[in-house]
Amino acid sequence: MTDPTRRWRTFAALALLLPAAGMAAAALGSVSLPAVSILASLSGAAGLPLAGLPGLGEAGEAIFWVVRLPRVILAAIVGGGLAVVGASLQSVFRNPMADAGLLGVGPGAALGAVLSVRLGWSADLFLALPLAAFAGALGAALLVYALSHAGGRPSLHGLLLTGLAVSALAGAGTSVLLVATEEFRVKTVLFWLAGGLEGRSWPHVRLALAFIGAGVAALVLFSRPLDVLSLGEDEAAALGLPVHPARLGILALAALVAGTATAVAGSVPFVGLVAPHALRPLVGPLGRHLLPAAFLGGAVLVVLADLAARTVSPHLDLPLGSLTAFVGAPYFLVALRLHEGRT
Amino acid sequence: MTQPGTGPDVSFRIEARGLSVARGSRRVVHEVGLGVRPGEAVALVGPNAAGKSTLVRALAGLLPAASGGVWLEGRPLREWNRDAAARAVALVTTDDHEGPGLLTVEDRVALGRYPHRGPFRPLGTDDRHAVGRALVLTGIAELAGRRLGTLSAGERQLATLARGLAQEPRVLLLDEPAAHLDVGHQLRLFRILDLVRAEGVAVLAVVHDLQRAAAWAERVVLLARGRVACSGAAGDVIGGPEAARAFEVAIRAHAVPGLAHPLYTFEETS
Repeated sequence: MTDPTRRWRTFAALALLLPAAGMAAAALGSVSLPAVSILASLSGAAGLPLAGLPGLGEAGEAIFWVVRLPRVILAAIVGGGLAVVGASLQSVFRNPMADAGLLGVGPGAALGAVLSVRLGWSADLFLALPLAAFAGALGAALLVYALSHAGGRPSLHGLLLTGLAVSALAGAGTSVLLVATEEFRVKTVLFWLAGGLEGRSWPHVRLALAFIGAGVAALVLFSRPLDVLSLGEDEAAALGLPVHPARLGILALAALVAGTATAVAGSVPFVGLVAPHALRPLVGPLGRHLLPAAFLGGAVLVVLADLAARTVSPHLDLPLGSLTAFVGAPYFLVALRLHEGRT
Repeated sequence: MTQPGTGPDVSFRIEARGLSVARGSRRVVHEVGLGVRPGEAVALVGPNAAGKSTLVRALAGLLPAASGGVWLEGRPLREWNRDAAARAVALVTTDDHEGPGLLTVEDRVALGRYPHRGPFRPLGTDDRHAVGRALVLTGIAELAGRRLGTLSAGERQLATLARGLAQEPRVLLLDEPAAHLDVGHQLRLFRILDLVRAEGVAVLAVVHDLQRAAAWAERVVLLARGRVACSGAAGDVIGGPEAARAFEVAIRAHAVPGLAHPLYTFEETS
């Protein structure tokens, strides 16, 4: 199969998979909603009422529009955003193992978010939490970048170890804040550590759409400089790309997206690693193909992970972040082994 | 070679004048004067750590001059706009094998059009033409759809060279382009450089193999401890006392009937 054929088949599969996953996530749960009724409700809201289809009923309408739909959309935006960030960081660092979580961006965002909860800012100002998460993400990314480049070009191990150290540092800060947090806020703080979409509603969707949407759009728009950066510092500079400003700009966009994702969903690890890694062989490494594919793939992953988080146990909601880690960590270990075996 | 104190020599397409370059706090290149004319092939030779790679990167504008400077077509390189300079000067280095292995050869070569296209302009007719020509010239047109990770080291290096040619540069700088190549690929590479040169491109290549440098270059520049030790016709430079001193070997030239260049042998000096 030629590369373009494989690419278009992959995009077609993802474009079918995402609505299917979204429909499954909207229909299944403690109260099951019939898919045809969901379709009827959706088309009715779009101004095209379908006659003859059974409705959701008053309670069903409320569950669908107030609880399920915002949650599904949020899961898709968060998953898509994290996957695009992962793919972008992998190009910037020329390393298929780079990821927001491993590079300290996720833990940094969590620290910022927890700090804003601890200080009570987030209660006063809706935007305080995402801004704090963004600041934490950006700070961690810059710290990893500066530390790992201090002695020249970093190796895979140097980069991962620096990311690990900065992540541990951010985690330690989060733990200290957790101990120092009043009991009634501890549950809020724990939420960011475990990751989850319980009780998220339309304001969170709007927030995620604005910031993650803008960040993802900018990364896709600047995907060609991303491709040039993936050729290495010397070649990128010789092709006229201002290497350091470009890298910092991409890191800032990555921090914006990962920070917002953490602010609305807590830490959702490994999505940024798994989705691009699985899709790169199918659509190729060029940003204009990989980033949109990664967005769709990451969206499918998190929509399904959140569905599993809600439905696997009848008694309690599992943390979303734990579910993605259960899948992502073994995937990462296998991928790392294959990567090491090749070089 | 230009003398310090004279104006930039307009016959040189690219020229270093009194160029010193530092890597970190250490000065690696000292007051180098060197120029390449349109259509000229210059080989830069010298022992390890002589500053060859640093000099080539400074000529490409990747490293700033600590003193002196680089003139491109008679104008200081630092006054050139970044994109315009990248359209005029291409740098081809040894492929480090850490690049995107899933990228196809054609996409790799097309990234050489970046200085012409910038971040947003789609691939136009000119671009496609330049990419196609670079693929044909390097003889890898049949590999266009292959992914870099599936290529041999030699094919990968040719793809890197094709990227440089797709830039349609007026100056082509190469840092050990033949490092990973077997003898067949080496001959092919230098034949391609001759084709490029014949079109009026100024070509400067760091060449490790002195025999190859002698066979290919019109002019050889010997760099030792960051300074130009000697420059001129290949026979004079490689057979001369400066080369023996720089490499700390005895070099003997043997005339072989039917061969345009002498054959060199090297012996350790005790």
